Amino acid sequence: MAPNHSNENGSIGSSLHGVTAREQIFCFSVEDGPSSQAIRSDDPTAKFALPVDSEHRAKVFKPLSFAKPHMRAFHLGWISFFTCFISTFAAAPLVPVIRDNLDLTKTDIGNAGVASVSGAIFSRLAMGAVCDLLGARYGTAFSLMLSAPAVFSMSFVADAGSYLAVRFMIGFCLATFVSCQYWTSVMFTGKIIGLVNGCAGGWGDMGGGVTQLLMPMVFHVIKLTGATPFSAWRFAFFIPGFLQIIMGILVLTLGQDLPDGNLSTLQKSGQVSKDKFSKVFWFAVKNYRTWILFVLYGFSMGVELTINNVISGYFYDRFNLTLHTAGIVAASFGMANFFARPFGGYASDVAARLFGMRGRLWTLWILQTVGALFCIWLGRASSLPIAILAMMLFSVGTQAACGALFGVAPFVSRRSLGLISGLTGAGGNFGSGVTQLLFFSSSRFSTAEGLSLMGVMAVVCTIPVAFIHFPQWGSMFLRPSQHEERSKEEHYYGGEWTEEEKSLGLHEGSIKFAENSRSERGRKAVLADIPTPETGSPAHV
Amino acid sequence: MAIHKIILASFLVYLMIQFSHGATKERLFSDLEKDALDVTAKPSRQGVLDAGIDKLSITWKLSSTAKKQANFKTIKVKLCYAPVSQVDRPWRKTENELFKDKTCPHKIITRAYNKSSQSFKYTLDRDIPTGTYFVRTYAVDAKDHEVAFGQSTNEAKTTNLFSVQAISGRHKSLDIASVCFSVFSVLALLVFFVNEKRKAKLEQSK
Repeated sequence: MAPNHSNENGSIGSSLHGVTAREQIFCFSVEDGPSSQAIRSDDPTAKFALPVDSEHRAKVFKPLSFAKPHMRAFHLGWISFFTCFISTFAAAPLVPVIRDNLDLTKTDIGNAGVASVSGAIFSRLAMGAVCDLLGARYGTAFSLMLSAPAVFSMSFVADAGSYLAVRFMIGFCLATFVSCQYWTSVMFTGKIIGLVNGCAGGWGDMGGGVTQLLMPMVFHVIKLTGATPFSAWRFAFFIPGFLQIIMGILVLTLGQDLPDGNLSTLQKSGQVSKDKFSKVFWFAVKNYRTWILFVLYGFSMGVELTINNVISGYFYDRFNLTLHTAGIVAASFGMANFFARPFGGYASDVAARLFGMRGRLWTLWILQTVGALFCIWLGRASSLPIAILAMMLFSVGTQAACGALFGVAPFVSRRSLGLISGLTGAGGNFGSGVTQLLFFSSSRFSTAEGLSLMGVMAVVCTIPVAFIHFPQWGSMFLRPSQHEERSKEEHYYGGEWTEEEKSLGLHEGSIKFAENSRSERGRKAVLADIPTPETGSPAHV
Repeated sequence: MAIHKIILASFLVYLMIQFSHGATKERLFSDLEKDALDVTAKPSRQGVLDAGIDKLSITWKLSSTAKKQANFKTIKVKLCYAPVSQVDRPWRKTENELFKDKTCPHKIITRAYNKSSQSFKYTLDRDIPTGTYFVRTYAVDAKDHEVAFGQSTNEAKTTNLFSVQAISGRHKSLDIASVCFSVFSVLALLVFFVNEKRKAKLEQSK
């Protein structure tokens, strides 16, 4: 069967563009609405600016567009996340001033760094649930607008304890990562999800780099107006605070939870069923792949978060650069995210097209291990040019690995997508907390030694990716299951629902997702046998 | 990708040029003549001094044991950290290589060398951190290289130390603005949330 270009996965009947599988009576449908009485008058696919799949998720990614709802959600999502990164790491480039104002020791600074990423462990978990239950818009807005007070409260900080507490509370806003990835995952189809999530995540992560330039600049400008350094840095925090409030309002007014509308409206009108939190939680936690991703992300994103906290000070102290120059160097680490993370997502998508899920897993392992090796080199570099070169290569490898990981994560579960994004994201922060605590919070290791040791730990903790196995797609070293039932995507995703729930038709979203995910078989997707849908829904003939 | 490579390459070249200016970087503190100048630093009052308010009376003159005074061109007076303020703070570490040494980062005054006794009344800057300090004067030659020094404390840096309390940097206006914006943020969110819930209920009751 030759795949025609209008199809999604080469499945039969997918030239029936516009069928939403909700029709009860007719097997065929045509797009031009008014001439056919058969279509429900609210068939919305004709209204989308981008071509969509059966779940109304966009099939193309147009970064320069702001079209409702898909591209708008993308832009609101990544910019919110970007703003939160600016706030969380806003203190890092100003630490040389803050440590003098508050009389901090290295231990204090290290502990505050750990605190700044620890808060998000819990908030990212909670955010997964919030997204599943309340929608991505409120998830993002809560995160932005409830943590803005913490950012403003830097004006009250007077000692190491309060500094740590405030950085901890600001860190909660990193939960926007989860809401952003969740939002793009419901707006964009599986084939391009690696690239879209990579762009959203990468451009958001750039905030960690931009802040290293922005905060010293704001600090300088405020000092020019006559403020002392010890007041100027406090006032500088108002900028990230304002940005958060503005973004929160934009998200609420311009954004939309799902392609078809906002979650609360859809739930009340019965189009989207409300799921039970306990079930969502159980299926996320029970799946061992979630925990492997938790560890993996801890040593790609975790390492990146740690570097955001320590790299500026490292270059300032070790190579005797000025605050400004150290900020520029540190910023280039974060700015590499602009292309590195999308590249990782894109590489994952390309590998999937050729080798299916196995390709995605190998891509992830290679990128993360290479990044970690360059981190080891960074710690050992004693001249500035070599250190910068090692840092740039390290940044590309690690950030691309983050992108590649979120090419895998959307396929681990459909029912608990939000919570798994949350758990994986939390893993990133957990990894960062652990590495900062072990290597950068005491005088036992110099910062250089800490960097190399962190690289070694990252190499070791990337090995578990070999153990991720999908029965329908295989793993890095094993083939997919040959079993009649288990080798079908529907079995894997349907397995998250009980028979009772299936009889009520609650799992239909997962089945649709399973059909759309057939692309993860790689080149074999074209030749796959298409099973008859279990509910008898007439979407495919 | 090409543009990134060009930017990286030019950045590296720039840095290598900067780095190659370091011909003087091997000068050591231990090579300097010790106690070439007698320095005293007297706080304006007892107890912990307040930055921005209290003063130090600093005097320095050529010591009787000095030998290299022919080279002295300028005297640089600096405020230095005592060992207790350097604990667990590697950015204030004492290193033998002069360019790496971070003991004395705060400049007080620079004056041309004069054989007679010199003095200066120094008001502690408002960006001096909390800590324990002493005063050191470096005698610098025409090439701007240090040749000798004198300090207000002994070699072990344990006597004649004084403590400074930094300003807090906090301001009432900052505090008030901070509270206002925080309240606005939370309220705006609540207003939106309640509003939408109400609209959704209306939809349902239709």
